[in-house]
Amino acid sequence: MNIKVMQTKAIFIDAYRELNAKKLFWLTMGLNLLAVLIYASLGINERGFSVLFWTFDGEFNTNLMTKTTFYKLEFLLWGVPIWLSWCATILALISTAGIIPDLVSGGTIEPVLSKPIGRIRLFLTKYLTGLFFVGAQILVFSIGCFLVLRIRAGVTEFGLFLAIPIVLAFFSYLFAVCSLVGLVTKSTITALLLTILFWVFVFILNVGENVMLTNRETAAVRLIDAPGKIESQERFATKRIEQLREEGKAIPGQDGVPLPDGAADSLEAINPTLQLARSKMVDAERAFETWSTWESRVYAIKLIMPKTSETLSLLSRNLINEDELGGLLDMMNGINEENDPNAPDRRVAERVQEVMDKRSIGWILGTSFGFEFVVLGLATLIFVRRDF
Amino acid sequence: METVIDVSGVDKMFKRKVHALRGVDLQVGAGEVFGLLGPNGAGKSTLVKVLLTVIKPTKCDGTLLGHRIGNKSALREVGYLPEHHNFPKYLTSRQVLRYFGAMCGVERKERNRRAEELLEVVNMSNWATHKLGTYSKGMRQRIGIAQALMNNPKLVILDEPTDGVDPIGRRDIREILTRLKDEGRTVFLNSHLLSELEMVCDRVAIMVHGLMRQQGTIEELTKGQSGFVLKSHTPIEQVMIDSVTQAMKGVECSWETGSNTIRLSTSNTDSVQPAIDTLRSKGVVLDSFGFQRPSLEELFIQAVNEDEGGATPGATKSGKRGQA
Repeated sequence: MNIKVMQTKAIFIDAYRELNAKKLFWLTMGLNLLAVLIYASLGINERGFSVLFWTFDGEFNTNLMTKTTFYKLEFLLWGVPIWLSWCATILALISTAGIIPDLVSGGTIEPVLSKPIGRIRLFLTKYLTGLFFVGAQILVFSIGCFLVLRIRAGVTEFGLFLAIPIVLAFFSYLFAVCSLVGLVTKSTITALLLTILFWVFVFILNVGENVMLTNRETAAVRLIDAPGKIESQERFATKRIEQLREEGKAIPGQDGVPLPDGAADSLEAINPTLQLARSKMVDAERAFETWSTWESRVYAIKLIMPKTSETLSLLSRNLINEDELGGLLDMMNGINEENDPNAPDRRVAERVQEVMDKRSIGWILGTSFGFEFVVLGLATLIFVRRDF
Repeated sequence: METVIDVSGVDKMFKRKVHALRGVDLQVGAGEVFGLLGPNGAGKSTLVKVLLTVIKPTKCDGTLLGHRIGNKSALREVGYLPEHHNFPKYLTSRQVLRYFGAMCGVERKERNRRAEELLEVVNMSNWATHKLGTYSKGMRQRIGIAQALMNNPKLVILDEPTDGVDPIGRRDIREILTRLKDEGRTVFLNSHLLSELEMVCDRVAIMVHGLMRQQGTIEELTKGQSGFVLKSHTPIEQVMIDSVTQAMKGVECSWETGSNTIRLSTSNTDSVQPAIDTLRSKGVVLDSFGFQRPSLEELFIQAVNEDEGGATPGATKSGKRGQA
């Protein structure tokens, strides 16, 4: 057998034994299976929503959505964003955070480095062992969910397995940071804490950008609507002035003194709402500028950061379409059919979604992997140059 | 003689502050048991780590098993036991040996066979399925030595192999070293236990403050300091010394006034006989007569004391000491 294959195999077996010794690997695997069981225990039928053998009658039934949509939605709304993205990721980080610090600890690294294996290959193989075992956890969860969908809804949905590369990509951004910190500090706890801190920072950045984007688009919608509103108020005021003229009455000023014929502020004087509409337009212009500036600043920071939320949202883009969901998303967003489809909230939400959708898969993964490449490259460089 | 380690001008400066190695030259021949001595912080482990690519030298010319230093291919034929090793505690000794065997590129079948054989050699067969976390220091040391031999190496580098090992274990390790030598392997030892080295080494080198102070066989290092010592019952007079010097013809004879000991710098027993005859003819009663040479410990202390600054342990800080 080729020596490189032999060494890679030995490193993977060793990593498995290390994880096995920590028990966390099997604990996480057990929790994954428990999550699948919970997933399987929930259901929907003609009468309503069911948990194990009990059905809770209500409007939430198969008239609202099909069983297939229910399980896909359950996977997308609970399985990926809550279980895989948070719970399982934290457990995975805890289990794998020690891989690099343990490798470089005194007394461990010397015998390994004195073997005929290059440092770059050694470091990257160790990094890959972390990803491999996390991938195994996601695989187990995905297979479980696939079987639940097959048995409970009678649908064969291979798209569920997209969760493996997508969640693994998401985890790899964090694991690159964890490996760098672990290498520099040689401490598992520090690596874990700083990685979680980084993760929270990226999350806050995402939320912040979303807030700014929403505010910018709210201002944009107000700006679009403002000329129409002003025009309507002007029309109303002009009509009223003409009415007064026909009645031979003077136009009353704001302080009660009649205005001379043709006064510049006669429209505002007769219709104070017009003034309010104009000042709202000025406010909207100012707000748009302010939020645009801040949004572009946050975007610039975000550009070089891994796109954790967007990466995970790639799964929903591919797994479920709007036709399948029908009016469900609107209902969840508090928008029902009786609402005006041109309501500002809905338009803002659509515009924000439009901006998000413009961010291509290439942009999301390209910039995120770019970040990972830089962090991992830096860690590899440190590992290669360091004296142990 | 074929050279296994041949380096010159090895220099290592850590973070522009600590000058650990200052132009070290070292040659180790094939089949030798070579001992490297030195006080704490002399740079012994750093030198070994440079040879094994664990530390990058600031400057280094030379070869290891015919490969340029830094070339990983050479390490396929090298076994190494680090001083403060920390082998994975979650592995059994059998797993440790197989893991390091695989890392050296030993085929699976051979790896499994060799692991069992080496467990036998280091008397750890009964512990093969126990995890290292349950071992004593001495037991871990035995496993460390076994892992260093997994790839059937031409060169075995052992850094403090008897550290934490009891006298029985030390004897076992000495036997292993003798066996390795008989098999024609080159053994490079780093140790503080000078008596241990003296028993097994063909050649030794003494390092102090990152400099190679002395290098050679024990005979070469003690040359001029070893010889026959005659002790009389009563103090020896100058007249007798003059007679002995005349009788010895060319052999250096040293004596301190009023002392009862004469030191003759020769290793030839026959050439000492005239001195004995002369003294006995003058009525001197001899208490003892024998060959003496300085122990490795005496040589070591002498080398350390000769070094500027005496035996102060620790590597030198740059700028505080002169270059060699």
